[in-house]
Amino acid sequence: MQDNYGFLGLYLLIAIAFPFVALGVAYLLRPKRPAPVKSSTYECGLETIGETWVQFKAQYYLYALVFVVFDVETVFLYPWAVAYNRLGLFALVEALIFVGILVAGLAYAWRKGALRWM
Amino acid sequence: MDWIDTLLIPAIKAIVVTFGLLLGFAYMTLAERKICARFQLRYGPNQAGPFGIFQPIADALKAIFKEEVVPEHVDKWLYVLCPVLAMVPAILAFAVIPVGRPFVLAGRTITLQLADINVGLLYPMAVAGLGAYGIVLGGWSSNNNYSLLGALRTTAQIISYELPMALSLVALVIVTGTLRMSGIVEYQAALPLIVLQPIGFLIYFICGLAETNRSPFDFPETENELISGYNTEYGGIKFALFFMAEYINMIVVSALVATLFLGGWQGPILPGWLWFFIKTAVMLFVFVWVRASLPRARYDKLMHFCWKFLTPLAVVNLLVTAAVVLILRG
Amino acid sequence: MAMTDYNMLLERLKAQFPGAIQGESEFRGETTLTVGADHLIPVCRFLRDDPDAQFNHLAFVTGVDYSALGREPRFAAVYQLYSLPYRRALRLKVPLAGENPTAPSVLDIWPGANWHEREAYDLIGIRFKGHPNLRRIMLPDEWVGHPLRKDYPLGGEPVAFTPTMDDPPLEGLGTQVLDPVSVPPVRPPEAQPHTLVINMGPQHPSTHGVLRVVMELDGETIVNAWPDIGHLHSGIEKTAEYKTYAQVLPYTDRMDYVAAMTNNMGYVLAVEKLLGVEIPPRAQILRAIMCELQRLAAHLVWVGTHCLDLSGTIHALLQYAFATREDIMNIFEMVSGARLTPSYIRIGGVARDVPPGFVPAVKRFLETFPKWHRDIARMLDKNPIWMSRVKGVGAITAEQAIGLGVTGPVLRSTGVAYDVRKYAPYSSYDLFDFDIPTGTNGDCYDRYLVRMEEMRQSVRIIQQAIAKLPEGPVQCDDRKIVFPPREELDSSMEALIHHFKLVTEGFHPPEGEVYACVEAPKGEIGYYIVSDGGPKPYRLKIRGPSFSNLQASSLMAKGHMFSDMVAIIGSIDITLGEVDR
Repeated sequence: MQDNYGFLGLYLLIAIAFPFVALGVAYLLRPKRPAPVKSSTYECGLETIGETWVQFKAQYYLYALVFVVFDVETVFLYPWAVAYNRLGLFALVEALIFVGILVAGLAYAWRKGALRWM
Repeated sequence: MDWIDTLLIPAIKAIVVTFGLLLGFAYMTLAERKICARFQLRYGPNQAGPFGIFQPIADALKAIFKEEVVPEHVDKWLYVLCPVLAMVPAILAFAVIPVGRPFVLAGRTITLQLADINVGLLYPMAVAGLGAYGIVLGGWSSNNNYSLLGALRTTAQIISYELPMALSLVALVIVTGTLRMSGIVEYQAALPLIVLQPIGFLIYFICGLAETNRSPFDFPETENELISGYNTEYGGIKFALFFMAEYINMIVVSALVATLFLGGWQGPILPGWLWFFIKTAVMLFVFVWVRASLPRARYDKLMHFCWKFLTPLAVVNLLVTAAVVLILRG
Repeated sequence: MAMTDYNMLLERLKAQFPGAIQGESEFRGETTLTVGADHLIPVCRFLRDDPDAQFNHLAFVTGVDYSALGREPRFAAVYQLYSLPYRRALRLKVPLAGENPTAPSVLDIWPGANWHEREAYDLIGIRFKGHPNLRRIMLPDEWVGHPLRKDYPLGGEPVAFTPTMDDPPLEGLGTQVLDPVSVPPVRPPEAQPHTLVINMGPQHPSTHGVLRVVMELDGETIVNAWPDIGHLHSGIEKTAEYKTYAQVLPYTDRMDYVAAMTNNMGYVLAVEKLLGVEIPPRAQILRAIMCELQRLAAHLVWVGTHCLDLSGTIHALLQYAFATREDIMNIFEMVSGARLTPSYIRIGGVARDVPPGFVPAVKRFLETFPKWHRDIARMLDKNPIWMSRVKGVGAITAEQAIGLGVTGPVLRSTGVAYDVRKYAPYSSYDLFDFDIPTGTNGDCYDRYLVRMEEMRQSVRIIQQAIAKLPEGPVQCDDRKIVFPPREELDSSMEALIHHFKLVTEGFHPPEGEVYACVEAPKGEIGYYIVSDGGPKPYRLKIRGPSFSNLQASSLMAKGHMFSDMVAIIGSIDITLGEVDR
């Protein structure tokens, strides 16, 4: 089975090669006529007001934080699911508790307003 | 095990899959334009060759020969690298999908699957998650307000939808008892999993729409709000790479739905690869159909829908599945 | 009865503010009061608040430069008022002397005066004391002079490009773009420090043209939105002063180019009011049919583009709307030869009688249209995604809407049933039985429902009008206004002379000023004409409904999401050609 991961490595090389080949071919073939207007920011035809790389609203990152917590927990469920048929009622109860904690966490985040878009 | 098994056949498979995906991408764009045109009472592309079949070639040539403007204010390295970052995971994700029945050629059994790994189900999810980097960094490096907003939306959207997606698949794994793709397909020889997991299927498909940034969840782009979102500052081949990544992702999600829920290559009479192709094509049609008939949701509503509806629903689906499996087993 | 009330009101006004009313004139049934600038604010407040007056709708504010007539004082500010409860109009005129005349701002009384006063400042150069943001609105900030003044020359601006094949040379193609003008972008002073200020437009897919909205975003929430217009200003009002009355007509088509017929209609009504001519009934009903067909066409464009804004370019509904609009365009082509800019409604009647195929074509259209309309309504009416995008978004109250001078479906969605077709019927609208749909919440969804229902009502009107269409002439018989028929030219010397005079000179309406408005698909479109007795309008002021309606967008947008701005702009239904004129 190690071979199969080897196959993936081989595939990775091809997958990486393709976009670089495409970029390279285009680099050789495309015309280059730079002009100041062309290389300015596109913001509906006007210059950007202020800086774009600014400190931005934290709300987007809150989602990321909540996500990390839940996603890691979800990954733990996979081995449990694979082995579920060999386990038994105990596994179900165990999962119930585990998922219960997860749901409680979601409810907490919900109540705290972390899921409210602002 | 000799060099034919370890090197030649995988290499051929890898090249075939890569080009198959590119061909699929090319004709997916044509098919989408044609189908949408019919939805809109138009003809769609019909000038380049009969029925416009050379249109993708014309598009590719245009992308290659187009002047690429690298705006002066961007973060140059990231800006150039990001289309690659988006593209590579899109191609990679297809590796574990079995496209047909294994067959015997010159005494060797050849599986129509690039790599049948034991965590086959987790692999495409893990790889597809990486694709978000291309979009997020692409939007950020462009140094453009619209790109930035698109990039930030992507961050929140893609990761949010991974959660119900993963949970819906856990329920599926409880039923099949394996993460290996070939095993999941074999399990569906008699009955496709959509029958056993209808809710899981719906959750997975909705998340698939969101993961691939397709309408009605195409927020990273939202041409009517963010002009073109994360790829506003991209043109020429770099834009084409982003575009390819989106479409290949769509093909991968359709293929995954076909494999996980619709029975993969299993089916009567017709050869396996054709069944797989038909099922994938049907799912791709649904993608286009949805795009032509639904308005776009609002971004915050989408997030609410994900966290306050889909995720709890996926949890309930998971627990009910576990309970039912336990009861049936006795 | 009503008239005596009205006179009593004016008497009370004079008694309450002695010396304020410097004059009163009556022309074609319109009353104009001349008010001294010092008394303007109390008089306006009285006119708005007095229970017998209630002039709550300010149609427009503008100015007139009388210098070419040699009158003193040189300027006058003009305020066109309308009382929605009593259904009557009143015009106030404030004479202003000096090269830099100043009038008090009525912004506190009618918030809608905001942009109108800015426009009057920009184009005429009247300063409004108390206006918090008296900047140019149509022209660039660095512009010199005020174009609608009579001493401002027409033309004379250097054209910045040479449209030949050799210049710029073809080998330099791609490099010939001019260097960007280095005007450093200004962050609005009102913006808070931690917010992101972003330009939406003028080159944006969802601003319906070259509208620019400067938006201050906190995350994706709109803290403030400042619409910036004028990118499409074409000086129609100035041009009109150099054209005969008949020549101005085609310009009106090009303002709200998705509703050209109703633009024609308003202008023609104003000129006819000035002339005092009677229009034969067949022409009147034909005009009504055209206006209602135009309303359907305009609403179809609106529903298509609104849905496009809220979905994506691939959504099918836009093409459904355009497919059925195609039938209307074909009818217009049949009667006038043009599809988008027909100029069919003319001074004195319509351009020519309709061909025999017209009535069957309209009937065929009336049969097919309801099916299309039903399809569109089914796709959107109860669609949960659609509802989530428009319900509760961009809501304004009836009071806010009236104060801002909002008209049309946007006003009606708040529950105010103001529709010029009912309030001051013109062109035989009083013969038809139709309803004015209203909403309750004044949000994007109500605007959507109101317009969808208006389409059904328009179908009703057209059905009745087709049934009532009489035979007879389609132009008035006043040879001094409309051309004589072609046959007469060969036999009648008099006809030839009339024709010659009309072509070379145009007609001479009496001296005076009128305001006439019609219900365009977007709201009240009005034309204020000052005539000096010559063949060209001395001053033409166009009251575009989108101009006033767009003012409300900033109020509607506050506190909503970035994506909602698209829904709001779409639901106001603007055409920049008419906003900027």
